[in-house]
Amino acid sequence: MERKKRGFGYYAHIYKMILFQDIKSKMSYRADFIISTIGMLFTNIAGFVTFWILFLNFPDIRGWTYYEMLFLYGFAMLAMTPVQCFFDNNWNLNRSLYTGDFIKYCFRPVNLFFYFISEVFDIKGLGQFAFGVGTLAYAWNKLSLPLTPQSILGLLIGVISASLFMIALMNFAAATGFWLLGATSVMIFMFKFKDYARYPVTIFNRGFRIIFTFLIPIGFMAYYPSLYFIRPDEVPLLTFLTPVFGIVFFYLSYLFWMKGAKQYTGTGS
Amino acid sequence: MEPMIKMTNVNKEFKVVKRREGVRGSILDLFSREYDMLRAVNDVSLEIMPGEMVGYLGPNGAGKSTTIKMMTGILEPSGGEILVNGRIPYENRTRNAQDIGVVFGQRTQLWWALPVIESFKILKEIYQIPDKDYKDNLEYYDALVGAGGLYHKAVREMSLGQRTLCDILAAFLHNPGVVFMDEPTIGLDVSMKTRIRQLVSSLNEKKGTTVILTTHDMGDVDALCKRIVIIDKGTMIYDNDIECLQQYFGAYRTVKIQFSKAAEDFENNVLERQAREVEMWLKEKFPRAKSTVVSVEDKWIQVLLNEEEVRMMKVINCIQDNKRIVDMNLQEITTESVIRKIYEGGVA
Amino acid sequence: MSWAAKISVRIRQSAALVRGSIMEGLTFRTSTFVTIIGNFIYLVIVYFLWRAIYDSSPTEVVNGMTFYDTMVYLVLAAAMFNFLDTFVVWDIGRSYQSGELVEFLVKPIDYQRFLFFSHAGNCVVSFCITFLPTFVVIYFVTHGSFALGINLVFFAVSLVLALVINFCVDFMVGTICLYTQSIWGVNIMKEVVVSLLSGATIPLAFFPEGLRQIVDLLPFQAIYHTPLHMLTGTDLTVTDYMQGILLQLFWVVAMLCFSKLFWQRSLRIMTINGG
Repeated sequence: MERKKRGFGYYAHIYKMILFQDIKSKMSYRADFIISTIGMLFTNIAGFVTFWILFLNFPDIRGWTYYEMLFLYGFAMLAMTPVQCFFDNNWNLNRSLYTGDFIKYCFRPVNLFFYFISEVFDIKGLGQFAFGVGTLAYAWNKLSLPLTPQSILGLLIGVISASLFMIALMNFAAATGFWLLGATSVMIFMFKFKDYARYPVTIFNRGFRIIFTFLIPIGFMAYYPSLYFIRPDEVPLLTFLTPVFGIVFFYLSYLFWMKGAKQYTGTGS
Repeated sequence: MEPMIKMTNVNKEFKVVKRREGVRGSILDLFSREYDMLRAVNDVSLEIMPGEMVGYLGPNGAGKSTTIKMMTGILEPSGGEILVNGRIPYENRTRNAQDIGVVFGQRTQLWWALPVIESFKILKEIYQIPDKDYKDNLEYYDALVGAGGLYHKAVREMSLGQRTLCDILAAFLHNPGVVFMDEPTIGLDVSMKTRIRQLVSSLNEKKGTTVILTTHDMGDVDALCKRIVIIDKGTMIYDNDIECLQQYFGAYRTVKIQFSKAAEDFENNVLERQAREVEMWLKEKFPRAKSTVVSVEDKWIQVLLNEEEVRMMKVINCIQDNKRIVDMNLQEITTESVIRKIYEGGVA
Repeated sequence: MSWAAKISVRIRQSAALVRGSIMEGLTFRTSTFVTIIGNFIYLVIVYFLWRAIYDSSPTEVVNGMTFYDTMVYLVLAAAMFNFLDTFVVWDIGRSYQSGELVEFLVKPIDYQRFLFFSHAGNCVVSFCITFLPTFVVIYFVTHGSFALGINLVFFAVSLVLALVINFCVDFMVGTICLYTQSIWGVNIMKEVVVSLLSGATIPLAFFPEGLRQIVDLLPFQAIYHTPLHMLTGTDLTVTDYMQGILLQLFWVVAMLCFSKLFWQRSLRIMTINGG
């Protein structure tokens, strides 16, 4: 059989097919869908309540007002949506390695990472998306930021770039499972960072500011891109570099994942 | 004709961690680890022609799955050369994957939550199967096993047998040159096993697909494979026709004997003692019949003998002279016991 | 079997389970290293965050807590979280869905007890390699911001009780999984509710009055707030300690009874439905 070139179109087409089928079948398990959505809502509400309690006691944090912090919060929530919706199967990686089921992904004539990740679309992430949009819109309004085509485009680019960092972080974390037992703890550890991505990195001292910018780049998940909107007069270069760094970081995580997969299938069993 | 699969002096070595025992051992493992080198596959050479069905056998841990992994391109051999369909599998895994199919007995490769037909449609896109081939295959499947009735059921709602059936159909969907099957009938009932075997046999015949079958079920081998390859401790110990194997052991006979029908005499230690007695009598009388093996199996004392060394009737007479035989049963040797004999080192 | 023999069998069973899970816990050495590093980074983040918060505050003391008090409280809460987070809900849910649960039910050991002791071993490991070091580090870093006296004894007792209450909550929530397919959804709701209302994310002292009154009536505060308060609270009398312990004991008994009852009822429903 002759093979056509397998580029972006080929993968997008297959992803779309799996996605639609998956959503259709998820909808048929209504109870699970509803409970998971409520669970997701709970997380968001609890996060919000924590935030609210904090600001009941303290009027501002290092010159960051309630609404500015709320903006970061909403932005971070949006940036966490893609990892939740599209890359959730990483959470099943460790288990499928443990049971040996992972091997079944290795026999298809498609990219291994793509094939594994495409299996699960996590629909409950959409609840988080809605919550994030709501929070962001509220803060946007209270801060009386301008709503122009340029700012919307900026927001779009900002959120997508920011989301790449979280995706990459989770790829790295999940892929450690190819070498180590108990990688779920690594994932839980990394996943916790999303709760701190919503604070300005300026609260840290110099050393940790560098770590959280370049090593575990939680600064890019909300803070740097948000500056473009809420502090337009003091935008650092890093804000504009967010998309580039995001792509590089994501690509590195992909390489790491694939390397792990290759060496895993090389071990006996 | 070019062989479909060609392995030349293939080796594979692994590094394995030595684990220490007990709580103390676990703590030591925290700080340091030692490794062993394990040779999983040792100098295996093999040629498989298009359309052949080969039984690939061996005890657990013999190196079967390592060999299969190398043929499917997900594992690189440490030495030697593998060609599948004229290509080196691990050099381009995805390219190789286009031309192979894989079936695991207990792990479905279909999408768990989706109806089978939707899985098939996705596979059609993944493998870029031409419309005509796809349609022909679906029609053929329907005629062959009435698969149409299953298409709209989700995989998670299927019985193991139905799932295996669909997995096999899926593996042949893109008309691959080779299909690898790992224990396809494991856990299935007798009638489903027969159905699966018929299906595989028909697919092989109609499409001329090469099939490599690893299994512990000799029923699969008897029903499907003309040729068998046996591997043990990484080394190939047999590669020939199944008939040849039976011929080699053709002079072997099994005699089953009972000295009593009383329930208390079916106690294992009673039978075991009787078996040792029988063994002693035979050794004394026929010292040159070295292949004779006496064992206990399910209330019977079983004597395996080689007629070229000693005639069966003489053996029976010898036993009868010592103790009265109450019941007796003669059997041709089965593939299963031949294979077991090979694992135990019966073939030089 | 005599009563004493029964008890000795039980102890031996439980000891074997604990031993097994300790060994398992150690084998997963990655988890332990990651958890230690994770705790350290978490500590750093929490430190800077609250440093910033307190720096922005006009007063040194907020709601009766200084910066150090808050830090000690939160860090120890995080360290506790490591061994109180047991995955019991997932265990129950998954073993029910895979059908393994039925196999357990025919074993001659109570399922709830089995689960508890299987996890107890892991708790012991986590306690030793995460809680204790954190405890020592925080003690020296804050130059002994909490006393090392009778409060430690009460804290230890309180911690064990908290463990049992936490297990009961997990077990009950796990039982809910027999009714619904959604382990994830059920588990996340539990985690969110427990960590917020037990005072694991923010000390209960910061809660507004109305919310605080509701929280006091719930068992969750007995999991994090009570033991931590005993450890770090400054002007507590023995009566205060005893009161806290008694309240926890009440919750232990109540939750044990309730979770057991709920489990048994649920099993009946499960067998009627044919599992």
